[in-house]
This record gives sequence, structure tokens and C-alpha cells, in this order.
Amino acid sequence: MAEPRLVAVLARCSDLRVEVDALTGAVSRDARTVAFSSSDAAAIEHGLQLASAWGARTLVLTAGGPECDGPLRDVAALGAEVRRVATHGSYVEELAADERALARAMVSAMGERPDLVLCADRSADRGTGALPAFVAHELGVVQAPGLVSLERDGNELIAERRLDFGRRERMRVPLPAVCSVEAAGTRLRRASLPASLAAARFEVPVAEVAVPGPAVRVLGSRAARPRPRHLPAPTGSSRERLLALTGALLSHEPPTVIGPVDASGAADALLEFLARNGYLSEARTGYAAS
Amino acid sequence: MTGYDGISFDDRMETVEFRVAERAHIVVDSDVCRSCTTKACVTACPANLFAPTSDGGILFNYEQCFECGTCYQVCNAEGALTWTYPDGGHGVVFRHG
Amino acid sequence: MTDVIVVGAGPAGSAAALLAARDGLDVVLLERGPFPGSKNAYGGVVYGRVLDEVLPNWWDEVPVQRWVTRRSTMVLTEGRALTVDFRSTDWGKAPYNGCTTFRADFDSWLAGKAVEAGAQLVTSTVATGLVVEGDRVVGVRTDRSDGDLRAPLVIAADGVKSFLAKEAVLLPRTQAKHLTLGVKEVLSLPREVIDERFGVRGNEGVDVEILGCTRGIPGGGFVYTNRDSISVGVVVSVEHLAAAKVRAEDLVADLKAHPAVAPWVEGADLKEYTAHLIPEGGYDHLPPLSTPGMLVTGDAAGLCLAAGIWLEGVNFAIGSGLEAGRHARRIIETRDEKPYRAALEETFVLQDHKRLRGAPGVVLSERVQQQYPGLIADLVQGLFTVTNPTAKPGVVKLLRAAAKNNGVKLRHLMTDGLRGGKVFR
Ligand SMILES: Cc1cc2nc3c(=O)[nH]c(=O)nc-3n(C[C@H](O)[C@H](O)[C@H](O)COP(=O)(O)OP(=O)(O)OC[C@H]3O[C@@H](n4cnc5c(N)ncnc54)[C@H](O)[C@@H]3O)c2cc1C
Ligand code: SF4
Ligand code: SF4
Repeated sequence: MAEPRLVAVLARCSDLRVEVDALTGAVSRDARTVAFSSSDAAAIEHGLQLASAWGARTLVLTAGGPECDGPLRDVAALGAEVRRVATHGSYVEELAADERALARAMVSAMGERPDLVLCADRSADRGTGALPAFVAHELGVVQAPGLVSLERDGNELIAERRLDFGRRERMRVPLPAVCSVEAAGTRLRRASLPASLAAARFEVPVAEVAVPGPAVRVLGSRAARPRPRHLPAPTGSSRERLLALTGALLSHEPPTVIGPVDASGAADALLEFLARNGYLSEARTGYAAS
Repeated sequence: MTGYDGISFDDRMETVEFRVAERAHIVVDSDVCRSCTTKACVTACPANLFAPTSDGGILFNYEQCFECGTCYQVCNAEGALTWTYPDGGHGVVFRHG
Repeated sequence: MTDVIVVGAGPAGSAAALLAARDGLDVVLLERGPFPGSKNAYGGVVYGRVLDEVLPNWWDEVPVQRWVTRRSTMVLTEGRALTVDFRSTDWGKAPYNGCTTFRADFDSWLAGKAVEAGAQLVTSTVATGLVVEGDRVVGVRTDRSDGDLRAPLVIAADGVKSFLAKEAVLLPRTQAKHLTLGVKEVLSLPREVIDERFGVRGNEGVDVEILGCTRGIPGGGFVYTNRDSISVGVVVSVEHLAAAKVRAEDLVADLKAHPAVAPWVEGADLKEYTAHLIPEGGYDHLPPLSTPGMLVTGDAAGLCLAAGIWLEGVNFAIGSGLEAGRHARRIIETRDEKPYRAALEETFVLQDHKRLRGAPGVVLSERVQQQYPGLIADLVQGLFTVTNPTAKPGVVKLLRAAAKNNGVKLRHLMTDGLRGGKVFR
């Protein structure tokens, strides 16, 4: 494959501390705490690093309202191209959005075919993790989710993924591809002062693609209120209940005192205990004792 | 640990947003603290970030700091505290300050 | 080319940037937080009249929680409270007196005005030091790469900790004596419940300043109403708090448990807990307000009135910021910073501070803090307790007994009365 020319980063930008009123279920968002989550920021950083290694362009795309322009401006100050795909609807509608349609809109907003698409493994609020798969499908390319490290190897990528039990998986990812990353300690760099000053008045371009409305229509939202459960009033006096709870006057099996014994005696005692309580079969006990 | 106010200190701090930076903006030199007689920071820090250790030193964690500056105002031991602002954009974010 | 660098997008910095930018200067406004107000915490009331001439009808735009139409001063002792309560419907209509608002909202709004006027706001950027040539400040260093920025004038509006004023040796590094720590809880309550508990309607609000609630540590407390939350907190001398080994949040808990306050906060949920320092040295401890190439404004210059029943700083910050911004062009042209201080002397900023120069000393004195609350409560309780069939005792007798009971000599009462009369004349 030829040198990659375009690295596209799909970064979600949302209020990271949405407030939900416990009584009414009303969700309030605050434009000032709108930011990229740490994994989205990591995706942007990987994008910048890889693109500069390849001499490619970085394009950071965000779907959202004008409240996303501040964070996008900061990214523009890092030298990336930025574009906002305008969405309308309320927050709840946005959460219920049709992700396949969103993926299609984002791909069409890229303008040209990217060689690599990066995004966060899952967004902090929507959290389905489905978008990268839809984007990969839309582009007809491979997908590698959940990556913690990304290195360039010629025109390919060496990626690392966390597995259960602390293990890691290293794989070679051919391009074009969609890779989604976890933050895993990668932080977005900060822009220089001259670049920040220059970007302060930058107008974030808005891509004119139609983002279809939600696939699911939200009729209303409210706080979760479990049904009341009938609990019978406790019987007996409080003293009796206390005794029953603590088991203060019940007879107990007295603790078994073993020893002092030597090591093999202790092993025998343990095995006998296990057998007595049904954890070991007789046969096994016999084998161990012999 | 529950205060007598009915809310635990952890829950209290949970109400505040901290955008934790990579670099610790306050560094405490526990060796200097060992010879400190007042240990004024321990009660004065509103975020309760100074924990005395059994060897007379101080264990400090910068993550949930209000950046109020009380600690370096009450600390009278030269060199015990290195106090700077967190890197721009990081640290505490008040919304109802 | 940058003409003016303003460090700190608090009220002082934004006010300075606003006027300097309106004057056609190229202004860069640096703020270390992710947005203006994100690092700032205060009690809760902004007295906005200082904005009348620069932002006409500011009251239509300011992100107000409630307009304060009722102001109370409370003296507490254990189990007792004496309240002086004042209400004015005038305060509930334009031009108003004060409003409760959150700093994240207010500071963002004011910074927005400066940006509209043409100032360039750069957030998430710490000014880490000064660029000095000879004896002149010629710029600032920031924590961004390539981060030095030069300008003929730097306005330090970086708040109470002002490392810039410290670097220019205008402020000592530590001054626990002249600093108070303020901690505040914002407690959410439904709007109607607040209206009912505080006896207000619509967008009317209440401001309560409290003495005698800090276990004898010099300071005071406050309760302010917001739209659907209330702010409860204490401000206490840093030096004495540390010496008393008391935790600040325990003082707030005390206050909330007091029978006069508990019914207000009952059932409320903690929404946010904040802490911030306040300078309270008063006029007698003001640092020099400028050095060649740099002006110091707001809290950075100690221009804040925090003495128990007063908590005013935002208005002084704006007032001093406005003067810095207004005179910026002239100062740049003449390289003479004196007009700034001269202008402040002409306005309420230094006039109020001068008039109330003794206030911190009086309000935070040991007797006012530790003995007078008890004395007043004893006296009033004596007056209002119906002692039938014993005849009512005379006031003088009650006063003597109350003074004795609280370890106050009548001669102290006299001198403090005279001192108070002089300070608050
Ligand atoms: C608990 C409490 C209650 C109060 N109650 C009231 C009240 O009810 N009414 C009232 O009028 N006043 C009140 N005050 C006082 C008031 O808050 C201050 O006087 C006022 O905020 C001062 O404004 P300022 O602009 O000078 O400083 P600040 O508001 O502190 O603003 C300074 C700004 O500079 C930024 N900054 C600092 N250093 C740097 C740097 N190196 N680089 C970049 N940016 C930097 C900060 O992030 C901040 O935004 C109260 C204060 C406290 C603590
Ligand atoms: S930080 Fe300062 S006050 Fe705290 S223990 Fe150390 S020397 Fe003492
Ligand atoms: S700055 Fe304030 S919150 Fe932070 S460690 Fe010091 S005293 Fe505690």
C-alpha cells in the first residue's frame, strides 16, 4: 500500500459531568464542561503522532452542536484539520441516535477516503462501542477495537490490546483500518502559546451532511423509580430479633483445636476436615495419605 | 470515615470535579515534615490531603486538591512544600463556586 | 503586537480586559482554568452597581440566581440566635443591589464581555512567571511551549495567591495572618422549599451573614439562597484555624446543626463543596499597587473586604480592574503607573477600604469573636424572658450581669463601642 495520506479521528465531545436530577430525572448539560474524554483525547494524540510520522494529514471530526467548537479549536491549534458534523436534537435524542446513520454521515463528512480512522473505544456517555464497527462496515475495511498502543511499522500498524488476566495481544493491522483506542496513559499534547493565540478566533468548519434523527423515538425520560415492595413487619420482640440476628444464645460447634502436630499430622488433619465436609472423596484422601 | 454531618469525606469530595494532571503540582518533602512540630497542614487542608505516617512524616496525594494555598500558608518549615499551579486546564473545576 | 497582557480571567481581569480592549488596545487575557470561573469560589453575592457605567442594563444579562432583597445579620451562641433582618423591595428591581450567582457563570459572562470587546481569551494557560528587563516587567512566561509573551503592560489579576505580585516582590510569599480560608457547601433544595423557608418569592433572595459560629476562631459564616440551592459556609482566619487544629468542614457542620440554621438546610443534598482563600488585611496592609510595567488588581492587590459581616470582593475586583483597563493606554504611553493608584483613590475601591481600614481589626478581635455573641444573647434573653412573678430587671443590671457572665469588663465595652463608632462612622 502507498504512504497513508489521511488519518481521520472521530472524537466525541460531550459534557463529562452531566447532571441528572434525582427527583425529576431531568438531565442538564453544561457547555463549559464539554470536552473530549480521555480515550477520545488519546485517539487524537495517536492520530497526530501517526500522521506526522507518515507525513499525512490529520482530520478530527466531531458530531455535535456549537458547544464542541471550543475543544475543536484547541485541536486545531495542534495543527490538525477539524470539522464539526452538526447535530440538532436534544441530548436524550442524541443518545438514542441511529449509530449506523451517524457512521454514514461521519464517513461522508470526511470528504475523501481515509487510510486510517481512529476513535475512542467507547464514548463516556453513549457507551455502546458500536460506532467504529459501523464506520468499518461503511468503508469496507478491517477493524481493531480496544487498543492500548499503536505503533507505526512502515505503512502498517503494530497494535496492542489488553486481554483478561493481565495478558496482552500484539497484532499487525493492515491499512486501511478503523482502530479504536483506550486512553491507557496516552494524553493529548497541549498547543504552543502562539498556536493557541492564533486559534482563539478560528471558526470551526461545519460539515453540511444530514444526520438523520434518532432510530428510537424517545417519548419521555424520568428517573428510575422501582415499584414499592411489600415487606412484612418483623415479628417477635426487639430482644428476640437481636438474639436471632447475632445468634448470641445459640449453641455453636466449638472450634477444633489441633496440635501442636508436625507437618504431616497437620496435613492429615486438614485432609480429614475436607473429607468430613464433603470437599474430598474417600479415594483421594486415601491416595494423599498413602 | 463518616463526619458527624452524616456525609462521608469521600462523598463530599465526590461532588467536586478534578481533571487530574500527570504532574504533581504540590510536592511534600516528608523528611522535612518529620521534624515539624505543628503538622498544621493536616487539619488545615480543606481537602484532607495530608496524612501523617507512623514514622512522623507526611503522605500526600495531589489529585483532589482545591489549589487553595492554605497548606503553604500554614507550613512554617522551609522547603517542606513545593507549591505550583497544576498545568493549564488541569486540576479542580468548580461549577458552583 | 500585544499591548496588554491580563493574567487571570476573574472579575478583576475581565473588567480590565474589557476597558483596555474597548480603548482599541490589543489585549490577551490568560486564564489557567479550562473556562473562566472554574478555579474560583466565593460566598455568593455580587454587588453589580460598579458595572452601571460600562455595561448599562447589566442586570438584564447577568447570570443571576436570585436578587438579594433581604439581608440578615445573625449572632449565634450555642442554642441561641439574634438576628437583625432587613428587607427592601427596592433591591428587587432595577438597578438592584446584589445578586447571588455562581462564579463559573458570572466570570464566564464577564469574560465573554471582554471577548466581545475584542480581547483575546486564552484558557488552560498558566502564567508561570514574569519576563523582566532591568527593573521593568515586559511580559509573562506561560506553561505552554514557546510560551513567553511580551507586552508593554502586564495587569496582574491573578487572585489572592498572586505569584506574579510575589515575584515582583510586591507581596510576601506567606502571610497567613492576613488570609482567611472560606469553605462552602452548595446544597440543593427545590425552589418552592427555599421560597417558603426563607420567606421570599420569585427571584428574590436572601443574604445572611453570621457571627459567633466558628468556635471562637476569628471569622464568620454565611447562608445565601440560589435558585434551587443554598450556599452555606464559613470564613476563618487561616492562622487561627491551623492553631486550633479544627477542620473547616466541621465548622460548616456546626453551623448547619445550629437550631437557627438547621431548619433551612434540612433534607438538602450536597451538590458541591469548595474552598478558597480571601485576603483580608484591609487598607493598612495593601501592597504597592504597581511596579514598572505592571499593575496589580483585585484580590492580588488585597482589595477585598472580608470582615465577618462583610464579604465584598468581586465589586472591588471589578472596580480596580476597570481603572487598570481605563488607564492602560496612558500608562503605556507615558511609562508611568501612578495614574492607576490615583484613580483608585478617587473611587469607592480605595475610599471604602480607607474608611473601613479598622474594620477587620474590630470585627475579628477576640472580644467580638468570642465574648460579645454570648453577651448580646444573654442581654436579649434577659430582656425578653418574662420573669413573673419577679419584676423585670433593669437593662443596666442585665448588661452588667451579661458582661460579667461573659468575662467582659464594662470599660472594654466602652472602648470597643468608641472604636467601632470610629471605624464605622
Ligand atoms: C468563601 C468566600 C466568600 C466570598 N464571598 C464574597 C461575596 O459574597 N461577595 C463578594 O463580592 N466577594 C466575595 N468574596 C471575595 C471575592 O471572591 C474575591 O474578592 C474576588 O473573586 C476577587 O476577584 P479577582 O478577579 O481579583 O480574583 P479571582 O476571582 O481569584 O480571579 C483570579 C483569576 O486568575 C486566574 N489565575 C490565577 N493565577 C493565574 C496564573 N498564574 N495564570 C493564569 N491565570 C491565573 C484564576 O484561575 C482566576 O480565574 C468571597 C471570597 C471567598 C473565598
Ligand atoms: S507540610 Fe509543613 S506543616 Fe505539614 S507536616 Fe510538613 S512541615 Fe509541617
Ligand atoms: S492547596 Fe489547599 S486543598 Fe490543596 S493541598 Fe494545599 S491546603 Fe489542601
